[in-house]
Amino acid sequence: MTTGQSDKEALFRKEVRDWLKANLPEGWGTPKFKWPEPYTREMQTLGEEWQKKTYDAGYTGFGYPKEYGGVERPDWEIRIIREEFVRCGTPPGPYSQGPIMAGMTILHWGQEWQKKRFLPKLLSGEESWCQGFSEPDAGSDLANVKTYAVRDGDDWVVNGQKVWTSNWPFAHFGLLVVKTDLNAPRHRNLSYFIFDTSSPGFTRRPLKEMTGETAFGEMFFDNMRIPHKNLLGELGRGWYVALTGLNAERTVGVGTRITSRRGRGGADNLIDLAKRTTRYGKSIWDDPVYRQKIVQIAIEGEAQRAWGARITEMRNKKKPVDLNVSSASKNFVSESGQRAADVTQELLGAYSQVMRGSPMAVDGGDLVHTILRSRGFTIEEGTSEINRNIIAEKILGLPRDKRGE
Amino acid sequence: MEYVRNEEQEMLKTMARDFLAKECPKTYVRAMMSDKTGVTPDFWKKVVEVGWPGLVLPEQYGGTGMNFRDLAILFEEMGRAVMPGPFFSTVALGALPILSAGTEEQKKEFLPKIANGEIVMTMAVTELEGDYWPGGVKMAAYERGGDYILSGSKYFVPDAAAADYIIVAARTANSVDLEYGITLFIVKKDDWGIYIDPIKTMDETRKQYRLDLNRIAVPVKNILGEVNDGWPIIKEAMMKGSALLCAENVGGGEWVLETSVEYARTRIQFGQPIGTFQAVKHKLADVYTAVEYSRAIMEWAVEMVKDSDPIAPLAVSMAKAYCGDNYKLITNHGIQVHGGIGFTWDHDMHLYFKRSRSNDTVFGDAKHHRELIANIYD
Repeated sequence: MTTGQSDKEALFRKEVRDWLKANLPEGWGTPKFKWPEPYTREMQTLGEEWQKKTYDAGYTGFGYPKEYGGVERPDWEIRIIREEFVRCGTPPGPYSQGPIMAGMTILHWGQEWQKKRFLPKLLSGEESWCQGFSEPDAGSDLANVKTYAVRDGDDWVVNGQKVWTSNWPFAHFGLLVVKTDLNAPRHRNLSYFIFDTSSPGFTRRPLKEMTGETAFGEMFFDNMRIPHKNLLGELGRGWYVALTGLNAERTVGVGTRITSRRGRGGADNLIDLAKRTTRYGKSIWDDPVYRQKIVQIAIEGEAQRAWGARITEMRNKKKPVDLNVSSASKNFVSESGQRAADVTQELLGAYSQVMRGSPMAVDGGDLVHTILRSRGFTIEEGTSEINRNIIAEKILGLPRDKRGE
Repeated sequence: MEYVRNEEQEMLKTMARDFLAKECPKTYVRAMMSDKTGVTPDFWKKVVEVGWPGLVLPEQYGGTGMNFRDLAILFEEMGRAVMPGPFFSTVALGALPILSAGTEEQKKEFLPKIANGEIVMTMAVTELEGDYWPGGVKMAAYERGGDYILSGSKYFVPDAAAADYIIVAARTANSVDLEYGITLFIVKKDDWGIYIDPIKTMDETRKQYRLDLNRIAVPVKNILGEVNDGWPIIKEAMMKGSALLCAENVGGGEWVLETSVEYARTRIQFGQPIGTFQAVKHKLADVYTAVEYSRAIMEWAVEMVKDSDPIAPLAVSMAKAYCGDNYKLITNHGIQVHGGIGFTWDHDMHLYFKRSRSNDTVFGDAKHHRELIANIYD
């Protein structure tokens, strides 16, 4: 389906499609493609190689100046590239935690040497990144971190624990929010550092989730040293540095990664599934209740696409965009994604129980996996409740309540 | 297509808001709720003076030749003001169908009079079952001596009392294909044999009527489009009308959001503004998101109509379902956030609640449009 595009756009779209056809791994998008086990070295390599290929072709690295390895293109080209990549469901790069979180934060707050040293290899996929934000006692209340750093000569000595770290086993570098002033008030006592995961005193271990996977890990810091020059932003201003990354994650994440399976693409899959599923002697697609539910998912996918296109256009035309709108789209996409997962479960019936690895699993079990995985959508990157607070207070201007100051 | 309004469109929007703030305050809206036709000659004269009925009509027919997006911008503001009266009927159900399907003579006869405010129009499609599909058109018309004779009843006809002409759908042939055999007749309302009876409906800002036709004769020259091929004209009118209703929903939704946020900031309970409480905040955050997403999908649908894009019917059905569902949610939350005062007759919130319900029903509700979309995917 098109949304009314010019010849110039159609031509460029074809160019991207041809490139994808020629460069996607053998058998991609068909049952012939042999997926590596998730979160293994093989999976990571698949992503890294894909990132390198797309970077060399100029299909990633947007939003960064050339001098730091960025790729500059008109916005409409970027939009088409994203749409086409999403359409193919390209291999997962190590870049979701790279260009989005780390990259944007370093670009915004980094010293010149940090930008020159870290950004090019981050964009090309050569070096991957993780971030240390959440802690056992600092989830939604992110300012409540307990991990602390003490100055010792040219270094800071870090002790503590982080949880819910993506890309935990492979990251070469990490971003870290730590308390550097035990006496300063909330939001003024944190600092933000870049650390090297090969530093002595650093250990990591898997965190097993309800999906049975270890998509996330835990990180432990036992007298780990970070050179002072790795400080990102000002000392004691780490809270504000962290906000940059969070906003970038919510906004960019919405535009790229999430629309793939949870958008209208998701509805197309559901329609296809419904058409080939027979239950109680009739096709599920002929059941008015299922038709209603599946079409609603398609509508929500289009609403998200239209919303994203509208915000992009506003930015291109230099209209003021309140960055906090990312909270609205984050909620919309994650909640719509959960509704899609609920519909999927109904469609699959008895087969909604059959997991990956079983020969009876429908489409390899990915849909069932999403039923489980989707419960995390409304928690990660800021819970739906925190996002509703942000919308209400930052966009609508309602008074803050009495949660910690 | 473009989502963001250009400079002229911003001016149009500002002008419309200022005009309606002055000419269509809630005192006027409420006065019209108990009025028989829902419009005063004075108000209609002013609407004509600013050129709205002829906004999208070509200059040769007395219009100003602006586009469908411009029209939708007016409708946003009308939705915001819950503007009563026959503007929607005249433009969406009269002027636009004649412009796209009428003969040159019909265009010359009707369009300049619409633009200069001489006549008001509407369309009568729905019958007893109150549905919006070709099978719902059962009233028969038969040929006799060069005229067509129409007898039967139409229901839920908008603005029939204010209208001078009514485009009536009737069945001129029976066919397995229900879409075939429907013909549109432009009927003069004061013809002998036409009776209108107001239906007491929930949304009093948008009048609806029962229309009874008793053996009225319509000359062939007053047939709109081809005999037996009226359904595509109705379908197109409903599509464009639906897109405009989506614009109304978004405009009204914005009013509900702003009014409810203001109330939550100033209403004190337990010694603090109720907007401090997360239970209230989160409702308003959901209203905000519903308005923003409704706007995006509405603007997409309107632009697709404007560009005559082949996906316009799909886009409009998606927007009609989505904006309709959300306007209902928005007005539900608006009343809840206001508490008791929101449940009173004196507060304006119920006007929006009721408009959200009537807009959802007109041209088929969200469920109907989801089924239309499913048919496209079949």
